[in-house]
Amino acid sequence: MLESLGGQIFNGLVSGAFYAMLSLGLAIIFGLLRIVNFAHGTMYMLGAFVAYIGAQSLGLNFWVALVASPIVVAIVGIVLERTLLSRLYKLDVLYNLLLTFGITLFIEDAMRLKFGMQGSPYVIPNQLEGVLNLGFMIYPTYRVFVIVASLVVCIATWLLIEKTSLGATLRAATENPGLVRAFGINVPALITGVFGFGCALAAFAGVLAAPVNNVAPLMGDDIIIPTFAVVVIGGMGSILGSIVTGFLVGVVVALGAFFYPPISGTLIYILMAFVLLVKPTGLFGTLEGSR
Amino acid sequence: MLSSGQANPSGKADYLGLGLLILGLALPWILYPVLATNIIVWALFAVGFNLLLGYTGLLSFGHAMFFGGASYITGIVILHAHLPTPLALLVGVAFSVVLAYIVGVLSIRTQGIYFAMITLAIAQVVYFAVTVFIGWTGGENGLQGVPRGTFFGIPLENDRMMYYAWLLIAIIVVAFVKRVIHSPFGQVLKAIRENEQRARSLGYNVDHYKLMAFILSAAVSGLAGGMLVVHQHFTVMDSVDWRTSGEVVMMTLLGGMGTVYGPVIGAAFYLLLSDRLAVLVNAPGVVIGSIFVLTILLFRRGIVGEIIGRLDARRARGSQEA
Amino acid sequence: MKLARLLPLIAACGMLAPMAGPIQPAQAAGNDQVVIANVGDESGVYSGLDGMGAVVADQMAIDDFGGKVLGKPIKLVHYDHRNDAGLANQETNEAIDRDHATLLVDYTNSATALSGENVAKAKHIVQIVTGGGTDAITNNPKYCNKYSFHYGYDVYALAHGTAATLTKEGGKKWYTVTANYAFGQALYDDVKAAVEANGGQVVGNDFVPLGTSDFSSFLLKAQGAKPDVLGLDNAGNDTVNAMKQINEFGLKKTMKVGVMLLFESDVHALGPDYWAGSTVTIGGYWDLDAKSRAFAERFAKKYHGNMPTWSEFANYSAVFQYLEAVKRAGTADSDAVVKQLEGHKINDAFVHNGYIRPQDHLLIHDMYLAEVLPASQVKQPWAYFKIIKTIPGEQAFRPLSEVKCNLQ
Repeated sequence: MLESLGGQIFNGLVSGAFYAMLSLGLAIIFGLLRIVNFAHGTMYMLGAFVAYIGAQSLGLNFWVALVASPIVVAIVGIVLERTLLSRLYKLDVLYNLLLTFGITLFIEDAMRLKFGMQGSPYVIPNQLEGVLNLGFMIYPTYRVFVIVASLVVCIATWLLIEKTSLGATLRAATENPGLVRAFGINVPALITGVFGFGCALAAFAGVLAAPVNNVAPLMGDDIIIPTFAVVVIGGMGSILGSIVTGFLVGVVVALGAFFYPPISGTLIYILMAFVLLVKPTGLFGTLEGSR
Repeated sequence: MLSSGQANPSGKADYLGLGLLILGLALPWILYPVLATNIIVWALFAVGFNLLLGYTGLLSFGHAMFFGGASYITGIVILHAHLPTPLALLVGVAFSVVLAYIVGVLSIRTQGIYFAMITLAIAQVVYFAVTVFIGWTGGENGLQGVPRGTFFGIPLENDRMMYYAWLLIAIIVVAFVKRVIHSPFGQVLKAIRENEQRARSLGYNVDHYKLMAFILSAAVSGLAGGMLVVHQHFTVMDSVDWRTSGEVVMMTLLGGMGTVYGPVIGAAFYLLLSDRLAVLVNAPGVVIGSIFVLTILLFRRGIVGEIIGRLDARRARGSQEA
Repeated sequence: MKLARLLPLIAACGMLAPMAGPIQPAQAAGNDQVVIANVGDESGVYSGLDGMGAVVADQMAIDDFGGKVLGKPIKLVHYDHRNDAGLANQETNEAIDRDHATLLVDYTNSATALSGENVAKAKHIVQIVTGGGTDAITNNPKYCNKYSFHYGYDVYALAHGTAATLTKEGGKKWYTVTANYAFGQALYDDVKAAVEANGGQVVGNDFVPLGTSDFSSFLLKAQGAKPDVLGLDNAGNDTVNAMKQINEFGLKKTMKVGVMLLFESDVHALGPDYWAGSTVTIGGYWDLDAKSRAFAERFAKKYHGNMPTWSEFANYSAVFQYLEAVKRAGTADSDAVVKQLEGHKINDAFVHNGYIRPQDHLLIHDMYLAEVLPASQVKQPWAYFKIIKTIPGEQAFRPLSEVKCNLQ
C-alpha cells in the first residue's frame, strides 16, 4: 500500500511537471502581455512534433531536440506575436484570447493534414530507458528525469525573473511600461521576447511528453484546458504560484485517481471551484490580478 | 471594453429585421429543412450568448453548459416524465436559470480573462457530469430517441412544421431581446460595458446587473438547447463540449457582436460554411480558423457590424455634403 | 482610396459566398442513378483508421462492380461528420433527401452510428454501419430496425474473442483498464462475462475517463495486483497512450496484454514493437490470403501507399454486397434490398463464411485472433498481425438465444 501510494505521488509529480511548465509559460506571458494564450497547447504539440520530425528527417536525438525544439517553436511564437498578436494590443485582451483560439484551430488541422490524426512514434532515449531503484520503490527512469528536468527549468526561470536585472526590467515593465520605456528600454522587443520564451517552455514540455504520450495533433487539447484550471487555482500571473500549484494539482489528481479513478478527469475542476469559493483570487493571486 | 457595431437605434425602420423575417419564412424552401432548423437553433443560442458578450462585455467560454445541459434536461424530462414539448422546454430553461445563478454567484465579480477561464472550467464539470450519469444521459452513445411531440397542436414530426414552430419561438425571443436591449436595463448594461467604474459611481449595483444579464443569456441559450434536442431527436456529449462554447463565440463574432441580428447571420454563415466544407474540402479547421483570425484582425465588427458601420459612415458623409 | 474603404465589405460578401452553394434546387429525382452515401469521420480523431480510406474503398467497390447496377450509373457521395452526432444526423437526412442516396455506409463511432440509425429507421433507407462498435446497433430494441445492418464487428465479438481465448490458455487472473463511456463499459461487461465463463476472474478494474493521456496511476495499480492478463477496454488514442506507458513501466515482462480493439493504423502510428506480443481480435485482415492482398495492393496505389485497415476493408465489402443485393432484387427499393441481404451467404475478400443474421441484421462471419509481431518479424509495412486462429462466426458473435432484437 505504502509503495503504491509512493508510486502514485510520483505519478502526480510527473503530470504536475507538465502542468507546471505549461502554466509557468502562460503566467509569464500573462504577466507582461495580459493575454491568455489559447494556443499554448498548440505550442506544446508543435514542440513534440519538431522533436519527431527532427528524429525522422535529420536523425536528431532526444537531447538535441530538447534544445532545438524550444528554439524552433519560440521562433514560431515570435512570428505569430509580431505579425498577428501585436496588432491587437490596443484592444481588449479578450480579442487576443479569441485570436489564439483561431490560430489553434488552424494549426491543429494543418498538422492533421500533414501527419494524420493517429500520431507518430517517439522513443525514450537509450540513456533513460529502464527503471530506477529509488530505495523505497522502483520507478521508470525516464519519469524521474521528467520531474527533475521540469524542476530545473522552472526554478531557473523563477530565478531569472526574481534575481536578475533582466527580470527586474521585466517586472518593472509589467507594472509600468511607460516608465521603463522612458529609461530607454525597448518594450515591444521585450514583449516579443517574453512571448517567444513562454512558447519555448511549452515546446520543452512537449519534447518531454513525446516519449510518454502519443505525438498527435490534438495532444495539446488534452492538456490546455486542465492547465487553465491550474492557472486559475494558482492565481493568474503568479510565477511561483504557477510552479507550486502545477505540482500540487498533479499530486492531488493522481491520488484522487488512485482512490476513485472515474473522477480523475473532473477532480481538477472541482478543486478549482472549491478554491474559488474560499479564495476567489486563487492560492497565490492578488486581488489586482483578478479584477 | 470590447468594441462593437452600433445597435440599430430604436425608431429607425428595421429593414434588416424585415429582410431576415422574409428570408426566415422562405428558408426551408431554399435550404434543406433540417439544416434550416439547425440554423434557427444555433442562431438563438448565439443571440443568447451575445446578450452577455455584446451587451455586457463578459466573455463566457463555457456557454455550452447551458445549451448542452438544457438539451439533456429537456430530453430527459420528455423521455422519462413524458412532459409535453413546450413544458419540457421550460424545464430546460429553468435548469439553465438555476445553473446560471450558481455559476454567476461564483464568477460574476471577476472580469475579462478570469471570467472566461472560470466559466470554461465550470462547464468542464458539467461535461464530466454528463459522462458520469450514464444511466440518464446515455454517455457516449448520447441521449437518443427523444420524440418531438406537438407544439400547441402543431405536429412536429414534419420537418417543415418543425421549422416554422421553432421560427415562431425565435421571432418572439429575438423581439424580446430587442426590447430588453433598448430598455433602461439594457442601457445600464451598455453603460457597464463602456465604463464599469463610472456605472458604479453613478450608483448602479453593477454586479447585480451583470448577474441578471448572465442569467437572461443562459435562459435563452438553454431554450436553444432544448429546441436542439427536440429537433434532432437526440443530444450528445458534443453539445456540452468546450468546443461548442468556442463555436458560439465564433458565430457571434463573425456575425457582429453587440448587434441584434449579427449573431443570427453569424450562426447561419457558420453552419452553411460547415455544411459546405463537409463536402468540398477536407480541412474544416484550416478554413474556419483562418476566417476567424481574419475577422478578428480586419473586421472586428463582424458581418452585420461592418454593414451598419459602412452605411452610417456613408449617411454621415452624405449629410455633410448636403 | 474608396476601394480600400469598401474592402472589408467586399470581403464580408465574399465570406457569404458559400451560402450560395446550398441554395440550389434539389437535384432531379435520383431514379436515373443509384447513389451511395458514405457518412464518416474524415477529419476528426478517427480519420486515421477509417477516414478518406473508407471513401476510397467504397469507390473501389463501385468500380469493381462495373460502375453500373441495373443499367444505372452508381454515384458515391461522402460526408464528413467529424464525430459530431448532430452533424451526422443532418448529413444523413441530406444524403437521403437531397442526394437521394439508397445506401448509408460507414458511421465511425457509436454516437454517429445511432443517430444515423434513427434516420434510417424513420426514412426507410438501408444503413450499413462498419465503423461504430456498440452492440446497441443490433441488440437494443430501441434502435434495431429493418433497415440498419452492423457489418464487421461489435463489442461482444471483440471481448469474447480475446478474453475467452486468453483465459482458456491459462490467463485466469485479469486486471482491466476501461474507458468510462458506453463503448468501454460494454467491452468491460463482455470481457468479465467471457473471463468468468472460462474459469477466470477479473481481480481489478479501473474506469478511466475517456481521453485520459496519463495512465500511470492505473498501470501501477494493475502492477500491484499481479494479474496474468491486463485487458485494455478502450479504443483509439486512449489505447495508444496506455500501450506506450505499459511499455515504459515494463508491464509486458510480467503479464500478457489483451487489446480489445486495434487497427493496423494504431500499430503503424506507434510502431509495432510497442504492441508486440499483445493479443487482439480483428474482423478481417488485408494480409490474410491472395484475394485480400490483391485488394490491398490496389488500394495502396490509390491511398498514399497505405494498406487498408480492417475497418476500411469492411467498407469495400459492405458496398459491394449491397450492390449485389440490388442486382438480385432488380431494384434499389429498400424493402426489396433488405429482403435480399437478410440471410444471404457472403464470401468475399473481406468476409469469410459470412451471412447476415435476419433476426438482428448483424453480419456473422469468421473473426480472427491475432498477435502483433515485433518489428524484426514484420515483413513489409502494415503487415503487423500474425493470425493465431480463426474464430468461426457462430462462436465469435452473440448467440441468437441472447439477442434482444427480433426483426422477423
